[in-house]
Amino acid sequence: MFYIHDIACISPQKTFSEIDIEHLNCPVGGKLPAIEPAYEGIPLNILRRMGKAVRMGVGAALTIAKQNAQGIIIGTANGGMEDCIRFLNQVIDYNEGVLTPTNFVQSTANAIASQIGLLTSNRGYNCTHVHRGLAFENAVLDTAMLLSENPSHRYLLGGIDEISAYNYNIEFLDGWFKKEKVAGKSLYQANTKGTIAGEGSVMLLAGKHANGASAQLMAIRMLHADDEQYIAGELKGFMAEHVSDAGDIDLFLSGENGDARLQKYYDACEAVLYKNVPVAHFKHASGEYATVTAFALWLACQAFQKQSLPQHFLKYRRAKKDFRKILIYNNYHGMQHSFMLIAKV
Amino acid sequence: MEREALKAQLKKQIVEFLNLMQVKPEEIKDDEPLFGEGLGLDSIDSIELIVLLNREYGIDIKDPKEGRKVLVDVNTMVDYIEAHRTK
Amino acid sequence: MSRIFVTGLGIISAVGHNVEANRHSLVNKKPGIGKATFLSTKYAAALPFGEVDISTPSLKEKLNAFEKGTTRTSLLALHALDEAIKDSKLTDEELHSPRTALVGADTVGGMCLTDELHHDANKHEQGSEYLASYDCGSATLYLRDRYQIGGIVNTINTACSSSANAIMYGARLIHHGLAERAIVGGCDSLAKFTINGFNALHILADEACRPFDENRKGLNLGEGAAFLVLEKEGLVTNDHIYAELSGYGNSNDAFHASSLSDNGEGPLLAMKEALMAAKLPAGEIDYINAHGTGTENNDEAESRAMIRLFGQVPLFSSTKAYTGHTLGAAGAIEAAYSILSLYHGEVYPGANFSKPMAATGLLPVTVYLKKELRHVMSNSFGFGGNCSSLIFSRA
Repeated sequence: MFYIHDIACISPQKTFSEIDIEHLNCPVGGKLPAIEPAYEGIPLNILRRMGKAVRMGVGAALTIAKQNAQGIIIGTANGGMEDCIRFLNQVIDYNEGVLTPTNFVQSTANAIASQIGLLTSNRGYNCTHVHRGLAFENAVLDTAMLLSENPSHRYLLGGIDEISAYNYNIEFLDGWFKKEKVAGKSLYQANTKGTIAGEGSVMLLAGKHANGASAQLMAIRMLHADDEQYIAGELKGFMAEHVSDAGDIDLFLSGENGDARLQKYYDACEAVLYKNVPVAHFKHASGEYATVTAFALWLACQAFQKQSLPQHFLKYRRAKKDFRKILIYNNYHGMQHSFMLIAKV
Repeated sequence: MEREALKAQLKKQIVEFLNLMQVKPEEIKDDEPLFGEGLGLDSIDSIELIVLLNREYGIDIKDPKEGRKVLVDVNTMVDYIEAHRTK
Repeated sequence: MSRIFVTGLGIISAVGHNVEANRHSLVNKKPGIGKATFLSTKYAAALPFGEVDISTPSLKEKLNAFEKGTTRTSLLALHALDEAIKDSKLTDEELHSPRTALVGADTVGGMCLTDELHHDANKHEQGSEYLASYDCGSATLYLRDRYQIGGIVNTINTACSSSANAIMYGARLIHHGLAERAIVGGCDSLAKFTINGFNALHILADEACRPFDENRKGLNLGEGAAFLVLEKEGLVTNDHIYAELSGYGNSNDAFHASSLSDNGEGPLLAMKEALMAAKLPAGEIDYINAHGTGTENNDEAESRAMIRLFGQVPLFSSTKAYTGHTLGAAGAIEAAYSILSLYHGEVYPGANFSKPMAATGLLPVTVYLKKELRHVMSNSFGFGGNCSSLIFSRA
């Protein structure tokens, strides 16, 4: 589909400038907040208005957007949720009186892509996908289509979502976050419903040429369904289409998140693979959010580059072989599922 | 309130309200233009400042042209506040 | 590359609950801007709106849509989608096929329930029934569940150009062989959130909006939804084809977070790109359904961009004087109007226009015209500089 030429990640872990993912930051109050860098590239007069999602998106983008992308494609389920509710609170608190517009302008989901466009004077294609748990996947597909239309171009592709106190409250009330404290790998042993909240921003430069690339996105598939056997069947089909031998997968990156209600999907997909395939999980490090597969993609690129992953990511102690092909499976709230196949270049 | 104290208070409010991270309130000169050269504020800031005058001083500016006359620098804002404040 | 045909339409707006009613209002120059009756806001009396004249409970009744957590935004979408599907005569088998895509767009989502959202977001009490209905994806997901649509599903939010981009995305899925047909469109409902947002930016008019008029005072917010059924050439089984989607362009103005550059750089690029994709010289465009919101900034920037591109600007008008600015639905509603223009060979008049802008002197069409049209352009520009332009041609 396309090659990944450069990738930057702001997350709850040390993934941005000095990468150290051996050491694990643990959640506080059920949330894994992203570690924000100093954002040296963003003019202060513009930075002052940005909410966290926009800051993280622009901050990660500016490190790689210098290389002149022809367009910007962003996946974000909620965009600037914090600004959104801040504006909403103004509406209620001041009884629809005299309100400040900045929160409103910053709250629109397309604020991230448009601010990147503004700061890099990019007048090319600009689109924001907001399809909840498949927002990033649709952005990936959009990018793949653009590159097939314009093979000489390069595009900036990103997945961003923020934890806001407000969307945490809403999703907590809806039963998606755990009531009890969990830290690190104990997330996966809890056997209760819900998970921990996370946030982050991953930006990458996508192109059609292998030269200088670190990884290749080979295939992507999105599904809306709630039957785990159907999902497993679709994964079989996906593998048959894109992998010559199921044993060719060197690592299965599983989006399991400690929510006992969703484990059946991950188990069913894991069962499709060969028994000795190494399995890694990552949501104890990233937390759960709608565009978290962007983090998984960054982690896969790390595994290719380092040819290893810290022990805490590995689900089983299995003999490690070379990382050449990685399969990511994720589902969001049990209804939106995706497979991504990535290969080392 | 003394005019000088009002100026200092207003400068602090401007910095906080607009989240001017790089500006210290006492560094804003009384006659420094708020827009363009000077503080470098833009059209959205002018709306924000009208909200500030409303919330902090009970002043209601409806006509944007009136706003443009008021929002020139700290001096013009303080003149207007002293003449029109309701709180 | 295979051609893409429009084989089904569905519209609900302030000027009608279906395609025929909408067309009737446009032909007879009957705008739908007025006092909102169902909307709860302090501004309901002070500002005019383009409200769809049916209550949310009545919509639920009419659509037999009593699922928990269904919002007005989703109901408007369902109303238009249902009409489009029936119009295109899509079978259940076709809807469930993995080759049928659904691409929605909206900017408000379930935030029309401003008070419920405020309650749920700020308190750790018992949640409302709308916990999973606030985000933009919720309306599209509701439609997918209801019809069990089997292919790729997506939701786009590029502010006021959202559903133009949804149409474009659906068309590209077909071009790339990722779908054989795509149901594409957008929806939004009036919300305290957007009303206060646009009001805080001082761009809401306290009178019926006057697109392209020298004395325009701003926009009116509206609500509604529209969906188009796009099908790949050769696979169309429906007995009528409305039009061909022949070109599209997407570009960013890269100028300001909430206003367009004075000379309309982004709009110009989007229109140019659409012409290039359609392989048409500018002179072939017979009519433009302009973005024309009625704000000082948009109408002047759009006018300048049209003058720069066309020199002699083709017939143009803005139908936002009828529907109000329906945000996430606007691109799809206006695309549907453009298609109706082509199909019936008619130009819909702009309304509330009396004096051309001093800066450009452009005159929009103000009377209903019967005219053979070959190519029609539909413009959509949004906050964040997101500009898109679509071209429909006679099939």
